[in-house]
Amino acid sequence: MDSRLTVLTAFPPAAGIDNEEYYKESQQHAKRVRELLRDNAQWIRESADDILKHVNPAVCSLSYLMILEYLLQASGWTSQQAHERLASYLTEFFLQFDARQIRCKGSIWSDVLKEVYNEHSLFPASVAVEVGTAALLRLDPSGSILTSHHCNLVELAYSTGNVGPVLPLIQKPIIYMPAKGMSTTQPLCDMSLPPPAYVNPDSQLTDGLTSFAVLQYDFLCGLCFTERRMWQQAFDAFERCVTYPTRDGGCSKIMTEAYNKWILIGLLLTGKPPALPETTSQAAKKIFATQGKPYKLFAQAFKANTAGNLVREFEVINPELLPNEGNVELAKLVLAHYQRWQIINLRNVYTNISLDKIRELTQSAETGGPLPSVEAVDQLLQSMIADGSLRGVIERPTDGSPAYLTFLSAPTQGLSEVEFSAKVNKVAQGIKALEPIIEATNKRLASNREYISHTVKRQFDAAREHKLGLQSAGGGFEESPFHIEEEEDLMSGIPAH
Amino acid sequence: MDDQKLAFFTTIEDQGSVIVKEIPKFDLDLYIQNYQGRTRFERLFHIGRSSVPLCVDALKAAVQEAKAGRDILRYQMAVNSLFQAAPNEPEALLDKAWLEAQAKENRDTTINLQAELQGYKNNLIKESIRMGNEDLGKHFEAIGDLEAAMDSFWKMRPDVSSTEQLVDIGKLLVRVAIERHDWKSVSNHLSKHVNSANDSDPKAKALKTYSRIANGIAALGQERYKEAAFSFVEASSDVAPEVYNQIASPNDVAIYGGLLALATMDRHELQVNLLDNDSFREFLQREPHIRRAITQFVNGRYAACIEILESYRPDYLLDIYLQKHVPKLYADIRTKSIVQYLKPFSCVRLDTMQKAFNGPGPSIEDELSTMIKDGKLNARIDAINKSVMPLSTNSRQQMQSYALQTFENYEKQSLDRIRRMNIMAADLEVKGSRKPGATNDIPLSMAMEDAGGLA
Repeated sequence: MDSRLTVLTAFPPAAGIDNEEYYKESQQHAKRVRELLRDNAQWIRESADDILKHVNPAVCSLSYLMILEYLLQASGWTSQQAHERLASYLTEFFLQFDARQIRCKGSIWSDVLKEVYNEHSLFPASVAVEVGTAALLRLDPSGSILTSHHCNLVELAYSTGNVGPVLPLIQKPIIYMPAKGMSTTQPLCDMSLPPPAYVNPDSQLTDGLTSFAVLQYDFLCGLCFTERRMWQQAFDAFERCVTYPTRDGGCSKIMTEAYNKWILIGLLLTGKPPALPETTSQAAKKIFATQGKPYKLFAQAFKANTAGNLVREFEVINPELLPNEGNVELAKLVLAHYQRWQIINLRNVYTNISLDKIRELTQSAETGGPLPSVEAVDQLLQSMIADGSLRGVIERPTDGSPAYLTFLSAPTQGLSEVEFSAKVNKVAQGIKALEPIIEATNKRLASNREYISHTVKRQFDAAREHKLGLQSAGGGFEESPFHIEEEEDLMSGIPAH
Repeated sequence: MDDQKLAFFTTIEDQGSVIVKEIPKFDLDLYIQNYQGRTRFERLFHIGRSSVPLCVDALKAAVQEAKAGRDILRYQMAVNSLFQAAPNEPEALLDKAWLEAQAKENRDTTINLQAELQGYKNNLIKESIRMGNEDLGKHFEAIGDLEAAMDSFWKMRPDVSSTEQLVDIGKLLVRVAIERHDWKSVSNHLSKHVNSANDSDPKAKALKTYSRIANGIAALGQERYKEAAFSFVEASSDVAPEVYNQIASPNDVAIYGGLLALATMDRHELQVNLLDNDSFREFLQREPHIRRAITQFVNGRYAACIEILESYRPDYLLDIYLQKHVPKLYADIRTKSIVQYLKPFSCVRLDTMQKAFNGPGPSIEDELSTMIKDGKLNARIDAINKSVMPLSTNSRQQMQSYALQTFENYEKQSLDRIRRMNIMAADLEVKGSRKPGATNDIPLSMAMEDAGGLA
């Protein structure tokens, strides 16, 4: 074999070496490959296809990646045919690469991935989104850390109408945010590291993010889910925007736009206006109360027994607000679902009900009145039963009496002990799985100045309370295991207002 | 109804007040004899403006009552109402001479009492200052200046020399607060001034009964029905009505207590707190229909209970404190009766229920439907077979779903909170300029155009 090929396949080393050694070797290997590429440029350009046949992307990922990076910039690879071949190599690489090797050279991986989804990409948008999604999930299978690539990919997916391929990525719950200063003393190739320790701007596997980028990501996820009518996921995504942490009275425009969509989707999902979660910041609540008022009134009208109010509120927000915020279709869908929710809620009152009575008790928010005929009710019920939103059957008595709806009741018997225990075990495992996440967050917070001062203050307060407790119990401070310097409390003695 | 009366009640109805067209069961003269003090006028005037059959008699009695006192505004109000309802009655003409003389007398008395009080203050005699304030307060109360009366009674506090005096001040303040329908003040003054720990002492017992009745009226006014019910039930029938007849009569105690208990207590509580309560049974003897209604309810004959109460609805709508609450209390009693009625059955036909609870409201099916929607009744209606089926609560299933829901929520909330912590740790919060309403990001529509500006 050509000695040059031997250089390219020299990494990874045989198993059995520790992480530090592995990392050191990866850096030396990258250096050697860099020199090889520099010294044998013509050979690489002309024989790239043969070389890449010998270099397995799943095994020698680092060499493969560096060759791809070189080819993307190489002058001989600009023809249409060359581009097609390169696209095929890129796809092969991103679907198979070894994430451990890539962690050692994050910047190259990031640069090449950007070539997949940027505007001059070799791929059509649908393929770019699919390849990008696969690459990100290969790097961090838990999908728990947000990267700049996530943000760019979801934007590309939504703007080009390729939501489907990005769904596996955006359905993963984001827990960590990349931040500078997160580099660890452990080698990045240590597979036991939690995602924030190796995916951060220092490792260059992601760029730094801003609050706007994070909000925009969740907002776009909400839009993607909305497009797919995945209401629960859309609701959760917009809720993440609505409850986004703020400080010093801040509130973003995206948050208010998300709030309006969150209300509309809440109505579709649950049939009632959603309540703001406790974690919503006070500043955001104030802004929502004023800027989101028309939507809130619209949602309140959804609760009424007659459609008149809802139609009126729709007419109030329709001319200006809805088109400006792209909510026209969503609001129309809410109107269409008003009567459906009325029918679904009848299950809480009736077991059997005639179609005529349904017509009498429910109203269409699209016309502002009852449906024109029992046949129309029949059709609506059939469509609801067919799409699974209504659990019931339309009974048609043979004696000629009018048809009626029978609601199918949920099983009244509880789960058996075994079934219940299995379910509890499943959720308990979910809760147990939080342990490493909490550990990683703890480690991360350990370097946060504000968190440290908060923790010290809490410890100080606890010690003070303990001291007061001992004193009131007749014990002396000397007995306390805490030895804290006395500090003058300037606020003591001032009554609370 | 003649034209004047019709116009009079049309105006009142337009103002949103309740009009009672049915003839009440009580006799106006006997009814008003139960009360003393300013509440007599208030009740007469209220009946005059609410009851079509008793309008003229009540307003004429109100005019006489006002003229026997010193409150010229009340006199004018009563004459004015009577003039609108029955202009041909002799009492409907304003006695201007009396009005002017009374106004002058009121002014003079105010000046004299204020001068006397000033004299006492100059002499620094605490007892005289207290009495001076009391006289002035009572004078203000009599002429209808309740705010000034409250003020004067309040000023008595620094000069009290015994607990009894403090209690007396409390009772004066409570009386005025009740007249002003200032229910929070009533509760405050009762808790601050009017309480007694010793039940064996007759005076203390009287005080306790006064306090319980006043507290019941205040709690009723604030729609704290269960508290009000227990307050009335704790009143002692051994105490002479004169102790509390400036705010309520023993009949009122029976009616208020009975109705509120029916609306808020279960059958066992009714039995223990009302029917087995010797003291309250004495009150109930004055209003036997209330006792009958309670007994019927306790015995499970709900329809009979409701029928009795419905027949007395016009009477209760003429009560100054009860009127506003009658629809709600009756609805609560009816709802409770329906729930209790359904309890022993697995399925009840709607026509049977319609017969049992044939009320003035909507059909029983609509009523049941509303109750189920409001969460007051756990049942389902079969509108085809015309029956209603109470649902038994499956505690085991509830526990299971609650437990699983709690676990899931815990996991979801934990993840959300960890995510928030990580956002804050990465210094990625949305920051404002400490001005609520500040927005520090560009609109999304603009941002979408500016793709690539993420980092």
